[in-house]
Amino acid sequence: MRKAMQAAVRETIEEYADTALLLIDIGAFPMRELLKKYPQRVKNIGIFEPGTIGVAAGLSLTGITPIVYGISPFIVQRSLEQLKLDFVYQNIGGNFITTGAAYDFSALGYSHYCPEDVATLRLLPGMEILTPGTPAQFDALFKACRFDGRPSYFRMTDHCNQTQVDVEFGRAAVLKRGSRATVIAVAEQLDATLEACAEADVTVLYYTTLAPFDAETLRREYTGGAVFVSAPLYAGSLFADIAAALDGEPVRLGGAEIPLEVLRTYGKKADKDAALGLDAKGIAERLGAFLAKA
Amino acid sequence: MTERARALRKTILRMAHAGRDANLQSVFSSVEILRVLYDRILRFSPEAPADRDRFVLSKGQSTMGLLAILAEKGFIPEEELWTACGYDSRISMQADRTKLPFVEISAGSLGHGFPMAAGMALGNRIAGRPGRVFVLAGDGEMNEGTMWETALFAGSEALQRLTLIVDDNGSINEMLRMGDLEEKLSAFGFEAETVNGHDEDALYAAISRVGSAGPRAVIAKTVRGYGCRTLVEDRSWFHRAPTDEELTALLEEVDAYE
Repeated sequence: MRKAMQAAVRETIEEYADTALLLIDIGAFPMRELLKKYPQRVKNIGIFEPGTIGVAAGLSLTGITPIVYGISPFIVQRSLEQLKLDFVYQNIGGNFITTGAAYDFSALGYSHYCPEDVATLRLLPGMEILTPGTPAQFDALFKACRFDGRPSYFRMTDHCNQTQVDVEFGRAAVLKRGSRATVIAVAEQLDATLEACAEADVTVLYYTTLAPFDAETLRREYTGGAVFVSAPLYAGSLFADIAAALDGEPVRLGGAEIPLEVLRTYGKKADKDAALGLDAKGIAERLGAFLAKA
Repeated sequence: MTERARALRKTILRMAHAGRDANLQSVFSSVEILRVLYDRILRFSPEAPADRDRFVLSKGQSTMGLLAILAEKGFIPEEELWTACGYDSRISMQADRTKLPFVEISAGSLGHGFPMAAGMALGNRIAGRPGRVFVLAGDGEMNEGTMWETALFAGSEALQRLTLIVDDNGSINEMLRMGDLEEKLSAFGFEAETVNGHDEDALYAAISRVGSAGPRAVIAKTVRGYGCRTLVEDRSWFHRAPTDEELTALLEEVDAYE
């Protein structure tokens, strides 16, 4: 996905003179030619995320579309007030691309994890939250949002799905239809979710735009009085949107998500997935237990 | 005090009285700075052309002063000032740029305007526009980390058309020891100078100058509540609006201030 990001960003910078790229050191090496070619508007700015978001807002206010690239917790949380006040309050657009996802940097510890990004950013009105699961999905979502005048958060992952799905901004994709529950799969958890659902009589929706939340598709595809969320996010991150989408319909909620805990293990991402029950086996067990309760 | 500065202070008092809320001491210390910018320096019009000079109020507490001067310049109908802080009003203690398009940023939280101003200066440079960017910060605001992140950035980028004005009204003297702001900002790559922040000619000379190789910083030494004896002497006026009787007394004090 990083390569797709680099290509999409490079194309944006080269084609549009009114764009700028601010790198927070990470990702500077693959962009070295761009840094050299456009020194005025492609900058490895230094390591100060809040100030960088503020500078990006100033660019946006002068008509230059900013793209900021950094590690998710340092954009989402260290700079949360800048996203809120410098972009949302000013009512201007910008693009924030992050790496790290929930715990892609598994060996680096809790400081580098961000399973709370979606729950945090969904409280910023107008903030777009994009969670592509493949390089092509990153490209499609980035190109749909880069100039739309709103702040857009692109959550990248280094653990892409093998399943290819054409996605559209703001729309969930229907991958399978069944009757006992609607399963919402998010980002890099799609492959494992599909495997877990192979024998289950459920509908599977794949969400790559989490804000604005596609309520229409969920309402239409809602089945079995139950929604099961399979997502690399802190548990419950989407429950409020789901409840709101169903607009008063009773719903049983469950999922295979990350428990709200300080994650103190290291190892590889796959080790955490297995331990937290977010691999295909774990998701299948949770889903089985969830369906059995009906 | 010039008569125009005196008139602006009186308008601000009336806004505070009408809106029943204000940071009068903090607004009054910056009146001469606003006067000089809007009377003598900024190339600015209601149409807000892209190549205009931009004034960014980082120190949001001076909003009433900014809006009063914009009304005087014809951007806002004067009677609208007296709706300050009303439910549907465009006028408040912290401006919202979506309601007043000729206000460059929505302010309120300290430490945000300066980074945005630096981004504007960079944006103007990228777009090849001549506009200068002036940003007004408070000395208390200079405690915020983003201010020094931006100082590093602006110095490193040599943003020549960026001017930081610090309304140094002694707010932080009671908190931490800030040292010499001129020296500190010089060390970050600014061409810095310190002036009397209530002397309009001195302010004009310092603020109008463009940096020869880097950004400019003007440390304006000011007095909280300047222009009104009670506001200078009585600390309770940091966040308070005058009653009917107090308004009359404070207006008289502004008239009597030397």
